[in-house]
Amino acid sequence: MRDSAAALRRKARRHFTDPSRPRGLLVAFEGPDGSGKTTQRKLFKTWLKSEGYDVVTTKWNSSALIKPIITSRKTIHALGPEEYSLLHAADFRHRVEQAILPALWDGKLVIADRFLFTGLARDVARGLDLDWVLRLYEPLLWPDLVFYFAVSPATSGKRVAATRMPTFYEAGQDVTHVDDPVASYQRFVRRVIREYESLALIFNFITVDAEQTIREQHRQIRGLFLDGRQRPWSDWNTDAVADWLATPGAARR
Amino acid sequence: MKTAARAPATLIAVDGIDWAAMLAAARSALTPRARGGISRWDASGVFQDLAAAGPDAGAPSARTLLLLYAADLAFRLRWQIRPALAEGRTVVAVPYVATAIAVGRAVGLPATWLAGLFAFAPRPDSRRVVHPSRDAPPAAGARDGFAGFVCERMATADRRASRRLLEETSARLSSSRSRMTRRL
Repeated sequence: MRDSAAALRRKARRHFTDPSRPRGLLVAFEGPDGSGKTTQRKLFKTWLKSEGYDVVTTKWNSSALIKPIITSRKTIHALGPEEYSLLHAADFRHRVEQAILPALWDGKLVIADRFLFTGLARDVARGLDLDWVLRLYEPLLWPDLVFYFAVSPATSGKRVAATRMPTFYEAGQDVTHVDDPVASYQRFVRRVIREYESLALIFNFITVDAEQTIREQHRQIRGLFLDGRQRPWSDWNTDAVADWLATPGAARR
Repeated sequence: MKTAARAPATLIAVDGIDWAAMLAAARSALTPRARGGISRWDASGVFQDLAAAGPDAGAPSARTLLLLYAADLAFRLRWQIRPALAEGRTVVAVPYVATAIAVGRAVGLPATWLAGLFAFAPRPDSRRVVHPSRDAPPAAGARDGFAGFVCERMATADRRASRRLLEETSARLSSSRSRMTRRL
């Protein structure tokens, strides 16, 4: 017989507050394209492994089930803002259930290269309502730490254009209707950064000055992680874990 | 010169679990005077693509399936429903929001989350719920419909459980009101 919602909540709380087992930690790296967060994520992961952590990485738009659906529709520029938002929320949900929560349950450290805040910043920059987008991601799973890599729109644009041509959706051409991808990106990334800055205030991100050298940023992240890793389990996450425990695959736990 | 009276743009929602009966109801809702068409679920092909994924990709939860249904509905609204309404046509959406909310409730998802998820969908001008035949088991006509698709996926190893979910969906549809949708 399946457990009741209250029983699943108790089970979730008991598991994550049990001092006899290592508690899973969730660390999110957020920021606009060209902010250098992927470089920092890789350095951070290497360092964590050298410190003996069991590390799992999850990237935005990477679920084996949903990513092919999104990719095929992006290729033909077939997505409107709502579809774009909903498909990315589905991809996120699938990764939460299949990768993130199972790893946290097993006491691993999960590094998320972009988290739900990417969806919020991009979708609101596309003109969608923040409350509606936030609801798509419920029940919300809050990271223990969110590093926000802050750069100016000019730096982001310069770094992206130096290595590649922004893609149609990356450049926000679906909403700017500007033909030149670089010009569109410059316009769109301003909106994305504005939304990120609002989210950083609302959700207490740890802001990293991504205009600093790579070495300086990495040193800062290590220090911030060591300060923040002892945070207690956030009770806000009980609903998300209980919801996952109710799914058929997780019921074995 | 007299111009022929044209029926106003109308959105008709046909919800239920019996796909064949829903399609029949959708066809009968299109009167000869009402120029228009039928908007079916999975017009975007999302669920067809999903079915092609291998087992290694992991089974989607009910929440994931509902998010995908909402994405498909957004596609239908953008490419089929809104353009047809803008031309003064009648569109029959089969299914629309009520089926998704009923199946979501049947599998235990919160009503507030479901209502919020579909808040982007305009309220239909009229709504029809197709009840399953009393003579046939609920699973018989459900196979090709959205409710049948979800219930089968949620109870893959247990046909009786899948049938119970369908019955629960059908009961919720019968008692549902159109308050879950709103006009933009």
